[in-house]
Amino acid sequence: MRSAHHPLTPLVFIAPAVIVLGVFVVTGFMQTIGYSLTRYTAFREPVYIGLDNYVRLFSSDRFWLCLLNSAIYLLVTPALIVLSLTAAITVEANLRGMKWLRLALFLPVITPTLVGSVAWRILLKDDGVINTILGVVGIDAVRWLTDYPFTLVSAMFVTLWKGFGFYMMIFLAALLAVPGELKEAASIDGASRFQVFRNVTLPAIRPAIVLVAIVSSISALKVFEEIFVTVRGGPITQQTVVPLIYRVAFEEGEYGLASAIGFVLFLVILVFSLVNLFLARRAGS
Amino acid sequence: MNRVPISIRLLTYATGIALAVLAILPAFWLIRIALQPAGQDIDSIGGFLVGGFTLDHFKSAWNDGHLGRPLLNSVVVTLVRAAFNVVLAALAAYPLARMSFRGRDTIFVLLLATMMIPDQVVVVPMFRTVVSMGLFDSLIAVVLPFSVTAMGVFLCRQAFSAIPSELEEAARIDGANSLYIWWHVMLPLAAPTLATLFLFSVIGAWSELLWPLIVLQSQENTTLPVAVNTLLGQFSTNLRAAYAGAVLALIPIVVVFIVCQKYLKTELFAGAVKG
Repeated sequence: MRSAHHPLTPLVFIAPAVIVLGVFVVTGFMQTIGYSLTRYTAFREPVYIGLDNYVRLFSSDRFWLCLLNSAIYLLVTPALIVLSLTAAITVEANLRGMKWLRLALFLPVITPTLVGSVAWRILLKDDGVINTILGVVGIDAVRWLTDYPFTLVSAMFVTLWKGFGFYMMIFLAALLAVPGELKEAASIDGASRFQVFRNVTLPAIRPAIVLVAIVSSISALKVFEEIFVTVRGGPITQQTVVPLIYRVAFEEGEYGLASAIGFVLFLVILVFSLVNLFLARRAGS
Repeated sequence: MNRVPISIRLLTYATGIALAVLAILPAFWLIRIALQPAGQDIDSIGGFLVGGFTLDHFKSAWNDGHLGRPLLNSVVVTLVRAAFNVVLAALAAYPLARMSFRGRDTIFVLLLATMMIPDQVVVVPMFRTVVSMGLFDSLIAVVLPFSVTAMGVFLCRQAFSAIPSELEEAARIDGANSLYIWWHVMLPLAAPTLATLFLFSVIGAWSELLWPLIVLQSQENTTLPVAVNTLLGQFSTNLRAAYAGAVLALIPIVVVFIVCQKYLKTELFAGAVKG
């Protein structure tokens, strides 16, 4: 290729990005592992203690409860897929006003999570609109913001609301890439609209469904703000893993223990990333 | 697709309206309540429709909640971070896309691998590093660790790779150096991608709560989401003022988005599926 540039030029261009990511992400990751093997608090220098933090973690109820809550939180993924795919199909229709609808459905995506959470808190209050509507249908009021596990469901509403417009765009891109001739050929052969969707469109957008499933699961495992704001001040045992990291590190000052939780979270997320890579590679070959 | 049956058309519009209500109503309700005079019923649908209007809560959010400074901080942090996101990513992406040198592919793979490490996993060492640099409670601390993202480098590299090499070679023959080519050939031709990256960086930086919450302490350095979060606790007796603060955090980003919506392209998301 071109050798017109000075041999050091590429390094100069790359240096800032490599330094920032190197110091904060790569080194940070190794430090997370290192800290997790130490007793390290806000008031004392780290002391090596082997796997004690992990032993402590695995025998602590609140860690397992937060992990369980994170697992429950993954239920947001199927809901997101259904809602965002429905939205994409609606927006893809060749009808008036759909450009505007697409824009409207993207508004929650750009809304700061904090603001979205505050808005949903108002709707979900004990005497809020959602309970009023439930009352009309004859369902008893639910204490969405205080009663576990409804607290988790409340945060999931926010995640769902904020996320579906984003995944809609991925599905829309996938739907637009389905060859029109395939659909036409199927309908000329007498397939109904539903059959065309079921047998032509759905198989064609499978890679997008897998992608959305993995990406939204990973971001569900990383959830913080929705929980932090929606279930304000509730007990930590009713929250998820990242709020636990925040609590342990920055309210209790236990950096070592918090790092151990962080590393466990990394391993869980890694499994999802590897599944993603595996599926992407299989789809590619 | 020209002759969509009426039943399908009705179903599509009904679904569309339901989705639009779901998307817009929560924020709209928040805005409505922030504009309602104190004492009016916050929860009734009747109050939502016919209750009065007042800017009192915005005034008290601004004056008693001291939101002016956090708003300014947020604007600065957001613009600086988004600018760095674009410039640093575009700088790194240029040699990765267009030059051959030892270790290029290794560096690129390592950069991509950092995407496997979530911020939440490295938040403790990130905090310690920022403290040891003497940056705790400074706006620099909010920006620095997020001044470049691997995703940004990836997007810019894709855009640069698509540029025909003749343009670059012509400039080289004319004696242009790499920085000149980067600025005068690469950046203009990749402008749509860079604009999209900038827009998404602005959206991300504007709403960031966790990291500023961790590294900022003093009132004068706080960003808007952190300040509004504080108001929610502090104004528990006058929640409408806190809601007004939340609306203040919402409006600028909605305006930015509506102005820049042409950069929200489906093709960008098509790339995500191809991996």
